[in-house]
Amino acid sequence: MSGGPAVKISIESVCEKQVQEVALDGTETYVPPLSMSQNLSKLAQRIDFNQGSDSEEVDGEGEFRDREWSKQEQEEEDGTVKFQPSLWPWDSVRNNLRSALTEMCVLYDVLSVVKEKKYMALDPVSQDQTGKTPQVFQLISKKKSLATAGQLLLKGAEKLSKSVAENQENRRQRDFNSELLRLRSQWKLRKVGDKILGDLSYRSAGSLFPHHGTFEVIKNTDIDLDKKIPEDYCPLDVQIPSDLEGSAYIKVSIQKQAHDIGDLGTFNLFRRPSKNRGGTQAWHMKLEAAQNVLFCKEIFAQLSREAVQIKSQIPHIVVKNQIISQLFPGLQLSISLCHSTTEKKHQRVSPEKPKPDDCLYVLEHNLHQMMREFHKQQLSSVVMPHPASAPFGHKRLRLAGSLAYDKTEISNLQHSEGLLEKIIKQAKHIFLRSRTARTIDSLASRIEDPQIQAHWSNINDVYESSVKVLITSQGYEQICKSIQLQLNIGVEQIRVVHRDGRVITLSHQEQELQDFLLSQMSQHQVHAVQQLAKVMGWHVLSFSNHVGLGQVESIGNASAITVASPNGENAISVRNGPESGCKVLIQFPRSQSKELPKNDIIQDAKWSHLRGPSKEVQWSKMEGRNFVYKMELLMAAMTPCP
Amino acid sequence: MEAPPVTVMPVTGGTINMMEYLLQGSVLDQAMESLLHRLRGLCDNMEPENFTDHELVYVLKGQQGNPFILRARRSLSHPTSPWHLRYVGQPEVGDKSRHTLVRNCVDVAASHSLPDFLNEMGFRMDHEFVAGGYIFRKGAMKVLVSRVSRILVPGNTENTERVSSSYLVELSVLAPAGQDTVSEDMRSFAEQLKPLVHLEKIDPSKQRH
Repeated sequence: MSGGPAVKISIESVCEKQVQEVALDGTETYVPPLSMSQNLSKLAQRIDFNQGSDSEEVDGEGEFRDREWSKQEQEEEDGTVKFQPSLWPWDSVRNNLRSALTEMCVLYDVLSVVKEKKYMALDPVSQDQTGKTPQVFQLISKKKSLATAGQLLLKGAEKLSKSVAENQENRRQRDFNSELLRLRSQWKLRKVGDKILGDLSYRSAGSLFPHHGTFEVIKNTDIDLDKKIPEDYCPLDVQIPSDLEGSAYIKVSIQKQAHDIGDLGTFNLFRRPSKNRGGTQAWHMKLEAAQNVLFCKEIFAQLSREAVQIKSQIPHIVVKNQIISQLFPGLQLSISLCHSTTEKKHQRVSPEKPKPDDCLYVLEHNLHQMMREFHKQQLSSVVMPHPASAPFGHKRLRLAGSLAYDKTEISNLQHSEGLLEKIIKQAKHIFLRSRTARTIDSLASRIEDPQIQAHWSNINDVYESSVKVLITSQGYEQICKSIQLQLNIGVEQIRVVHRDGRVITLSHQEQELQDFLLSQMSQHQVHAVQQLAKVMGWHVLSFSNHVGLGQVESIGNASAITVASPNGENAISVRNGPESGCKVLIQFPRSQSKELPKNDIIQDAKWSHLRGPSKEVQWSKMEGRNFVYKMELLMAAMTPCP
Repeated sequence: MEAPPVTVMPVTGGTINMMEYLLQGSVLDQAMESLLHRLRGLCDNMEPENFTDHELVYVLKGQQGNPFILRARRSLSHPTSPWHLRYVGQPEVGDKSRHTLVRNCVDVAASHSLPDFLNEMGFRMDHEFVAGGYIFRKGAMKVLVSRVSRILVPGNTENTERVSSSYLVELSVLAPAGQDTVSEDMRSFAEQLKPLVHLEKIDPSKQRH
């Protein structure tokens, strides 16, 4: 208040002429509208003078306005005359009123005297009333007009608040409709009764899963207006079936067979952190999650149906939410459906599962992909008939009768590999591939001489991949390229293609591959000697990949080579076995060997060129960083100077 | 040899007792594109397939009664697919309130030696034509939009001439007898095609006279 009035509100009575009387014929006589001066005096009359002149300054608005009015009047009268209380134009009015009040007081006294009827008696005089009625009327009219003004204000306020509420309601409605439109553009919706139902199943994409997959669209507009609207508020909500709530995924893993049967089927689930993508609505995420649950359930249902139907040597086990199938002896593939329904459960389970992640995401991904392919196949299996007049139906039905198919031809037509068979094959391949890689790597790290290089091709099939294995010696890569193997890793076996076209088929056993590689490495050393001999100008006297003599190797065969120096005087023999290692013998001409006893038979000088007995070289004591280098040094030492 | 070699009575009973519910109409070439567009929207979610078929109509004249007519049809676009032999009965004179034409119908897939076989049985080819166009599907309903061409030289399907400058539109469903919901569905589907093409029940026997 002290800061002055903030808002000016002018109050006026209704701008309507008041009815003075209604004649008998219905015509209304109005009170003529007040002129400017009359109006002014009427307003002036309303002023409550009883407040006293000293309280005028304190009282706020009314007095202020009075002053404003007086100012205006003054300006009308004489331009710029300043306000002075003595010059107040309504002074006379006020004085009159004051005198009237005095008179009223006197009248009151008179009346009270008259009332006693002891001292005075009165005759009715009509003029007496005139002094009293105006003030009563004033008060009444003042009250009335104030009440009218108040009512108007109240009405206005009511209207305002109503329109604000309506606005909000409208906006929410509009939001709901736009959200519904957005939902409609991405999901199938239909109206049943007064409900809006949606379909999140994959049926239109070719799924045969019997789950109806229906969700209901709920209007979420009746929230508390007083409370603050939460950030993620959305006027549209969806209700999904209770069995599709939560999140689910298919877990595929390959494990060593260590479980007891009793341990199966209770696969613990841990929740993967769900990525919250920005910009998508809550309902969309909810529906996508539910659809994912449905899809996982469909995959699992399909797999378990096949697991029961397929006859295999070792039957597949389906226990609760887990399917177990034997890949190789002692190795099993486990496919499990992990479905976490509530947050609480997740919190209870998660702390106790810090186990290593042995899932095969590739297989999980492939499962999803294969299921979708299956769907697509279902869709496209309904082909249009040709000729066009023929009824709809499966093509094979029409073909079989008219072309007189026999049983095998019909079964060929309808044969298709199941999801489980495919995934088992893929799992076998993946396992075989990773184990092959491990075998090669461990060999390469264990054996330094010769070296193994593996070049994996990065374009693979789901059932086949290939690796090229090179066995080389360090520093002699250019001359020692004899062993190049192409390993084609299939589902259950590995086919090895040699450089010369020989094909060897290895089974899934790890030992077979390891032994094969070891024997190849031992052969490589002998091959390397052969290549080196060519470079050094030595002659190969004999060469054998598989020596039939000497100690029997447990894996593969030993190989041997004998080379002679360019002039034929010296010779080196090498025998290398995968297990026994290498043995190097050298021969010198007879003439150079001193300890050789004189032979009576070979007396002639020409026999002195014959090579003497072999001597073994202590190979481990030779200089050189690897076998081929040592051999080069040996050959160099034994090459006679020209 | 008093009796005709085969019975002239329509085949009834058994599992092959199917009825064809049929509505027919035609659309001018100019309006064909928009009709195809509409059909693509209304029908099942797959692209329309083209077809070109060659139909031969065989007649076996008995000694009394109407001749017995069989329709043999083969696909020119898919020469390996089997022939289609079809018997179509007279339209049922049921209640007039039914929305579609209903007639008995027997469909058989046949091998490629069908014409020879029919000739051996005593059938004679009455007329032949080539129909080509688009085939749509909505549930059990089949929509054929085809142009019909007559064959100028008998047996030569390359040398043809359009019968008219409009396409024949056929909406048909194969269903067991007495399924009136089928005709109801067909009527509502035909309603949706209304401004483009008016599908009506047309009785071929009455057209002839």
